[in-house]
Amino acid sequence: MTPTIQTALFIAVVGLAGIFVFMSFFYLIILALDKYLPYQEEKPVEEFIEEISEEEESEE
Amino acid sequence: MNTLLSLTDNLRTFWGYTGFANAETGHIVMILVGLFFIYLAVKKEYEPLLLIPIGFGILIGNIPFNEAANLQVGIYEEGSVFNILYQGVVQGWYPPLIFLGIGAMTDFSSLIANPKLILIGAAAQFGIFGAYIIALQLGFAPNEAGAIGIIGGADGPTAIFTTSKLAPHLLGAVAISAYSYMALVPVIQPPFMRMLTTKKERVIKMKTPRVVSQTEKVLFPIMGLLLTAFLVPSGLPLLGMLFFGNLLKESGVTRRLAETARGPLIDTITILLGLTVGASTQATTFIRWESLKVFAIGALSFIIATCAGILFVKFMNLFLGKDKKINPLIGNSGVSAVPDSARISQHVGMEYDPSNYLLMHAMGPNVAGVIGSAVAAGILLGFLY
Repeated sequence: MTPTIQTALFIAVVGLAGIFVFMSFFYLIILALDKYLPYQEEKPVEEFIEEISEEEESEE
Repeated sequence: MNTLLSLTDNLRTFWGYTGFANAETGHIVMILVGLFFIYLAVKKEYEPLLLIPIGFGILIGNIPFNEAANLQVGIYEEGSVFNILYQGVVQGWYPPLIFLGIGAMTDFSSLIANPKLILIGAAAQFGIFGAYIIALQLGFAPNEAGAIGIIGGADGPTAIFTTSKLAPHLLGAVAISAYSYMALVPVIQPPFMRMLTTKKERVIKMKTPRVVSQTEKVLFPIMGLLLTAFLVPSGLPLLGMLFFGNLLKESGVTRRLAETARGPLIDTITILLGLTVGASTQATTFIRWESLKVFAIGALSFIIATCAGILFVKFMNLFLGKDKKINPLIGNSGVSAVPDSARISQHVGMEYDPSNYLLMHAMGPNVAGVIGSAVAAGILLGFLY
């Protein structure tokens, strides 16, 4: 095996490992986003109005 | 008599400037290649937005003219209009601007909803490094091999950006090869997808992805940018612009900027990029044994990338529960020909089960492939530039 091919193999292995590490970080970030900022269904406007009017009534 | 002689001389001089007098076999061959590209785009509708400018550019670049006359028309003649436009390719300005547009039109939801698909986008980059080693074995210098290897990423702007830095003399061959194979993805990938999967695997139905919140969509490009900046800074010109474009889209408050980036801006750059890359394939610099080798390695890199993506899904399935299995037909989407390779997953999947919609799942690895190939380009630049 020539030194050039040895270097090429080294770059290929390090490169692929680097890509997997990079993508794994991304994977973890997305998991964290999902855990700490989960999707919440937006409340319809009517519900908001009801909530506000209830709050106002209780204040009175 | 003198007038007649003078007229003959003038006609002879005029003839010397025409394309007929300067045409060589190479010019004719390249003009036929250009016409073939235009035929593929118009008749077969293979990547017409790219193949029409490239095909027409090949025609422009191969109009024979008297180079000694210093007409300032050739793309390699300093100061000519085409030479000035070509600087965007040579200096690497166009690809990041294209990535800005791609970011502004990409929806990362499918990836965020099922993040393990991101690893398929990483696995498909075996094509890049496989082609890199093959190119070295065939006698290319390491920097040239890196430029050729990037064809396996199936990403035209990334290939052009990397080649402009590593081996500018191969720019025409690499760009034409990358865009040709991207256009031929519907022909190249399906046989390998069928060959590497069983009938049982092809009908795996995947769960509907979860809904992704707006906050996640906004944070994703910011996190992506920071991750790129810290881990692979050499990938910043491409990935930085990709994530910037995506933030313009997802922030919801820069709609006008996002529309410009994914509309007029990307269209303008695509025209300039396609035309000048096509015109850079002048017969004298393009028709060489080296170019043929680049084409052959390019085809191999696409095949390796496709097979690696599919085999990696099969490998992942060994560790996944029965209801979480991934259909290996989406493995081909790890190559970043967006959205063509995802459409092929859908098309081949529906051949075996017409009720199995794989497109939304295939878009995950597809956009991951865009990120993966840009990271691979950054790594190669880091080692070889």
